[in-house]
Amino acid sequence: MRTVKEKIRALLSGREHRMVLALFAVVLMTVPLVAGPYGVIVMVDVGLYSIVTMGLILLMGFAGQISLGQGVFFGLGAYMSGIITTRCGLSPWLVLLVAAVAAGAVAIVVGRALVRLRGLIVAGVTLALNLVFCSLVVSLRDLTGGATGLPLIPRLPLGGFAPSNTLFSYYVVWIVAILLLVFSLNLVNSRTGRALKSVNLLAGGSEDTAQVLGVDIIRYKVQVFAVGAIYASIAGSLYAHYTGCIEPGAFGVHFSVLVAIMAIIGGMTSPWGAFLGAGLIVSVNEALREVMPAVVGGSTGAYELIAYGSILVATLLFLPQGLMSIWRRLQPQERFR
Amino acid sequence: MLDLSAILQFFISGVNLGCIYAAIGLGLFVVYGVTGVLNLAQGEFVMLGGMLTVAFYTAGTALVPSLLMAVIIAALVGAMLYRLIIYPARNSSGSTLVFLTLGFAFATEGIALSVWGWEFKSLPSFWGSPNIQLWGATIFGQTPWVVGTTLLLVIGLFFFFGHTIHGKALRACADEPLGARTVGISTDQMALFSFVLAASLGAVVGAVITPLTMTGYGVGMPLTIKGLLAALVGGINRAEGVILGGMALGMAEAISAGLMPSGYHGVIALGILIVVFLSRPRGLLVAPGKV
Amino acid sequence: MSEKGKQRDTEEQAILEIRDVSVAYDGLVAVNGVSFCVRRGDIIAIIGPNGAGKTTLLKLITGLLRPSGGEIWLKQQRVDRVAPHRIASLGVTQVFQDIQLFSNMSVVENVMAGCHVWTGASFLSTGLRLPHSRAEERNISDTALRKLSLVGLGQKAFYSPSSLSWGEQKRVGLARALAAGADLLLLDEPYGGLIAEEIGKLSQLLLELQHRGITILMVEQLTDVVLDIANQVVVLRYGEKIADGTAAEIQGNEQVIATYLGNGPLEGDER
Ligand SMILES: Nc1ncnc2c1ncn2[C@@H]1O[C@H](COP(=O)(O)OP(=O)(O)OP(=O)(O)O)[C@@H](O)[C@H]1O
Ligand SMILES: [Mg+2]
Repeated sequence: MRTVKEKIRALLSGREHRMVLALFAVVLMTVPLVAGPYGVIVMVDVGLYSIVTMGLILLMGFAGQISLGQGVFFGLGAYMSGIITTRCGLSPWLVLLVAAVAAGAVAIVVGRALVRLRGLIVAGVTLALNLVFCSLVVSLRDLTGGATGLPLIPRLPLGGFAPSNTLFSYYVVWIVAILLLVFSLNLVNSRTGRALKSVNLLAGGSEDTAQVLGVDIIRYKVQVFAVGAIYASIAGSLYAHYTGCIEPGAFGVHFSVLVAIMAIIGGMTSPWGAFLGAGLIVSVNEALREVMPAVVGGSTGAYELIAYGSILVATLLFLPQGLMSIWRRLQPQERFR
Repeated sequence: MLDLSAILQFFISGVNLGCIYAAIGLGLFVVYGVTGVLNLAQGEFVMLGGMLTVAFYTAGTALVPSLLMAVIIAALVGAMLYRLIIYPARNSSGSTLVFLTLGFAFATEGIALSVWGWEFKSLPSFWGSPNIQLWGATIFGQTPWVVGTTLLLVIGLFFFFGHTIHGKALRACADEPLGARTVGISTDQMALFSFVLAASLGAVVGAVITPLTMTGYGVGMPLTIKGLLAALVGGINRAEGVILGGMALGMAEAISAGLMPSGYHGVIALGILIVVFLSRPRGLLVAPGKV
Repeated sequence: MSEKGKQRDTEEQAILEIRDVSVAYDGLVAVNGVSFCVRRGDIIAIIGPNGAGKTTLLKLITGLLRPSGGEIWLKQQRVDRVAPHRIASLGVTQVFQDIQLFSNMSVVENVMAGCHVWTGASFLSTGLRLPHSRAEERNISDTALRKLSLVGLGQKAFYSPSSLSWGEQKRVGLARALAAGADLLLLDEPYGGLIAEEIGKLSQLLLELQHRGITILMVEQLTDVVLDIANQVVVLRYGEKIADGTAAEIQGNEQVIATYLGNGPLEGDER
């Protein structure tokens, strides 16, 4: 029997996560060896969505702040990377960082205005912001290429050359995803994570108590909003360099809602949920693309929408804590919940 | 330069758009007021109203029966939304309920896409109403129908809430759910009713605007967002606020469409409204209580 | 001017001074012109019937409500316009009547959350687990465990708060407040709902805290226990102070007796 103190230390040091994390990383690094090219392409999507979803989980699952506007920051990252690298020829890696900082700064300004509102209203306003963002991208035709998109975005370089294959994108995306997972896990098991949970009105927090314990609730909510935006922006930049061409449709309201669906389905009590949610939704999507044309023919967009909608409703009604809760239930009882 | 006819033209299209947003906002207001649910599927009822009317009409049914059938089906769908999705989760948090309506909106959009395809559809203006020339401004033949319908809906709603037992019961549920239950009002039935009312309202609007704006499987979500923003700006707790907000958005859109380089008007109107809302989060008509 | 002199006199002693404070909820005056002084190291009890404004008064002190009139001085600083989290950093914290444990955290995490005010690791340093943040976290977990053992719940560190009894939840709430390291502790009805055995233990604990130099301001419905351990008692009724003094003085006060008329001298009105 370990003493309570040792257990807490283990929890704090991240030792509890370390084995799973290592296994996860090893599996991901070997996936391309066993999966075919198609599998790798699908996994790049999963990785990109996971990054955005992880940011939203910190925001929504930990701090209890609803956002249906992550597409704005995904798009900001993608367009900043796309525009600056095509026009100025700066290093894509540098631009990725600059874009992330800029997206974070925008989020701080927007977040300051949003934190004063009630959660439901924030949902509506962020949705509206996303709509405005897309119209703006379409309107600023000279800068963004408008509705037709921004082509010819360079690949991410590695040393002196730029590997053009999907495999390279796979490793970049997943290394970033794992690093951000480690960052998120550290965050949620720390002073910051507890402060975020203490203001979470969606899941057992209390603003009054948080405040009398010294938590500056506005500051934490704004900062976590910025962190979510930075995650989304990083994913957006990676996406832009991966596809080489971006258009406003990819950052619309549907994208944002889809990310929220992934967070809910995966489970918002842990950053791990992001991978479950993104993995499930992308798999469903791919399965539909494979199966539906054979069965009914024509475009599969309709069936994707129906599937996303029904999966979301079913999850909320029957598994409100998401897929993570199944995994938690299998864990030994001595751990909390 | 700006002359009288241009100003008149802005005003007319502003009122026209304003009526659309106000009517959608009112649908949101009815459900939010009675049940506290922010129904992000409101625009889908507008879409259904339009698409179903087009479907029946092009199949050879006359306009009025087409419209009536569309409204009835939309109302049934509204009832289903409440019974099958909202009611089982009625004790969940408000955010869960919002996401449920979003899921429903996605699924509805998908079904519409699979049934009717992605093409935009239109209707002729009702009974072939001709365009009207007024001091150099053009009023589309359908505009009087849009404005008139909205006016009727607004008057109907005010009469309903102010003067009928049913309406008063709905208001009671909104103000004091526990109290309403104690005096024997079934909050459950009232909630169901509010969804049906909002769905029918949305469907009527959807049918009436189709000759002007066209309709398609994906028009619902943007309309929801605009109606919501209009309602928020005016103050979602009061019908007057919602109407005011709708008109403000309509006018802002019409004026920026007239004055700004093409392509920017959507951004500017919505942007202005978001800024106005964020600086006055309680709404233009400051209502006491919750934001 | 004489005001200033008086202030200097009490400077060494007074940790908290309430001066003519009032506040209203939508027209209902909940606290009306209340003044009193809390000496460092005392246990002071605010008593009064339901709705007297006791909870409201505590919220005014911690900054959750702003007074419409009057001043609140804490350690020679005026705090009635200061944000609650800043007041907390001055060494004051509050345990609410309904405790409000965070149900999304385990018991020990709740207590660790109490350490927020005296720690400072940022988003970046906690996310990257910089050495500074790691050391701080160790410190936090040690403190939290100590406070949990102090209230006798060391063994339930990893329980979910909702699985605890009411009395245990109250103790976690107290441990969380103690973890904040405040030297002025505001307790809203700490005895409410406790069983006899727990009541004795709590009194003992409060006296021990007093011994360690912590000033305690607690709100209670009238109980004998409180009168036993309090150095000073303030009686509120309908938002106004009707008496202020030692337990003995209070028990002799006519207005107080009138307030609790019908029961024994100072019993009853307990829920
Ligand atoms: N948020 C609020 N809005 C409106 N009125 C309130 C609010 N909180 C308290 N009140 C009213 O203010 C008065 C004082 O309330 P308060 O909670 O301070 O009393 P209390 O002495 O703590 O009572 P109790 O012993 O029941 O805890 C009461 O009449 C109460 O109804
Ligand atoms: Mg009280």
